[in-house]
Amino acid sequence: MLNKRLLWILLSFGVFAFCLLKNNRFDIPDYIPRPTYPIPKNSSDNDTVQLGRLLFYDNLLSADNRVSCASCHNSYNAFAHTDHDLSHGVFDSIGNRNAPALFNLAWQKEFMWDGAIHHIEAQVLAPLHSPKEMGSSIEELIEKLNESSFYRSEFFAVYGDSLINSSRVLKAIAAFELSLVSFGSKYDQVRQGNSEFTEQEKRGYAHFQKHCNQCHTEPLFSDFQYKDNGLSIDPSLQDLGRYLITGDAQDKYRFKVPSLRNLSYTFPYMHDGRFDKLRQVLEHYEMIESNHGTRRVDIKSIPLAFNEQSDLIAFLLTLNDKSFVFNPAFSFPEKLKETLLKH
Amino acid sequence: MFRLLLLFLFFSSICHGQVAIKFGLFKDSLIHVPVKLNSNDSLTVFRFYVSDLRITKDRNKSWKAPKKHYLIDFDRETNGQDVIKLELPHDFKTGQIEFVLGIDSKTSAEGIGEGALDPVNGMYWTWQSGYINFKMEGVSKNIPSRKNRFQLHLGGFRKPYISAQKVDLNYIHKGTSAMICFDLSVFMNALDLYTQHTIMSPSKEAVALSKLAKSCFYVE
Repeated sequence: MLNKRLLWILLSFGVFAFCLLKNNRFDIPDYIPRPTYPIPKNSSDNDTVQLGRLLFYDNLLSADNRVSCASCHNSYNAFAHTDHDLSHGVFDSIGNRNAPALFNLAWQKEFMWDGAIHHIEAQVLAPLHSPKEMGSSIEELIEKLNESSFYRSEFFAVYGDSLINSSRVLKAIAAFELSLVSFGSKYDQVRQGNSEFTEQEKRGYAHFQKHCNQCHTEPLFSDFQYKDNGLSIDPSLQDLGRYLITGDAQDKYRFKVPSLRNLSYTFPYMHDGRFDKLRQVLEHYEMIESNHGTRRVDIKSIPLAFNEQSDLIAFLLTLNDKSFVFNPAFSFPEKLKETLLKH
Repeated sequence: MFRLLLLFLFFSSICHGQVAIKFGLFKDSLIHVPVKLNSNDSLTVFRFYVSDLRITKDRNKSWKAPKKHYLIDFDRETNGQDVIKLELPHDFKTGQIEFVLGIDSKTSAEGIGEGALDPVNGMYWTWQSGYINFKMEGVSKNIPSRKNRFQLHLGGFRKPYISAQKVDLNYIHKGTSAMICFDLSVFMNALDLYTQHTIMSPSKEAVALSKLAKSCFYVE
């Protein structure tokens, strides 16, 4: 009897250790460059990441307690906001730009469409304070969190200290965001020799390398630079892009080159979400005029026939990472469901 | 050995001169904000960062403040600002008081800090990142802004708009306290609030005003 029990204990211990090993074996493929930030392990035993996940999904962050980070950065949309061209904030206010997808952030040096934010921990402050997004402030958030017995015990569990300060809050959210790593696409499988492109995908890959790779550089599918891709100016937004940050006239209408990974999940496209379909994006690049008067557009027209565009799209779809989008470790935390009514 | 140590402690205690450095407005340390400056102008917010404060002597010896960053806030409600206490060695009778007005680029690039650097202090930009080195807000009659307000948020840690300024002042040890004053009248007289009432981003104007602010410090 005793032996049997011992066997069970040993067995469950073994399974537990195996799960832990599996979770921690979070290998980044060898063709991926070194990240800017260290990547926290995506596992249930990483307390800081789990705390950040709670905060990421909690409406408490906003002035009207109705908007969380996840409101505009939905895990099922690779943390972008499907069907909304511009971000949607507190009191139904509409922002100025499309909510960008969140993944592989550890490889970025600057954040936001215009690179306004130079450090991932500082990024949270931008939507938190924006009157069109969360309409709150770090002071207000710290006060709310310190009044919540749920969060006081969560912070105590992680830091051995129930005091909630901004440094801990910002670091936790950043840790969760940095854990959002996506290298599980078919493209990655092919690169690792575990899969093969179809003939159409191969043709599309060749088009990609010829026309797109210069800015949407492999393997992250962005060089994270700022480019004017010739979009007509939306008169209702008059968005000057990177110029608003640098004040350099050359940066007018430049926006950060987004990654092309997970494209199917992250529509609509462009900084103002003006295109719903990939085909529209390719049509824009086909029709682009490099002559906009004094404006200097950074790219030239990409003349592809309709069937060539279809090939290119077939390749682009190999950049979708389903395992990332449906990873339960990134979705709404169960723990929050139980406590939602309490605070 | 123990005796030697005691002797050393004894000597060191008589060799050190305590100096408490305080920041003030004009010549009167008791002035706080909000304050009415004259019939036209009043000040509602005034705070700035002081980093790497030290007293140097003969260019190579320096006695540093215990903390790297201090937030000097003249708000009445904050119950007085930090008094920076330096236990100066005996031979520091004269020298230079040096500090950086603002947060250096390296610290800014590192992200978010704690204590004086905590963003809850309202000295961190949120629409773009980086510390506000110097914040002055108030009301001035006749300026063409909403509610006649002026808001000077001076910052910027990246080229070409690095606004942190090194301040270097002569210091003579006279007693147990030293007051570093900010001459508001010099600052306000040099400002043209009519055209420069709202500065809230790293820019040429922010750098120029930071240089002006640097020139307004003196040791009382």
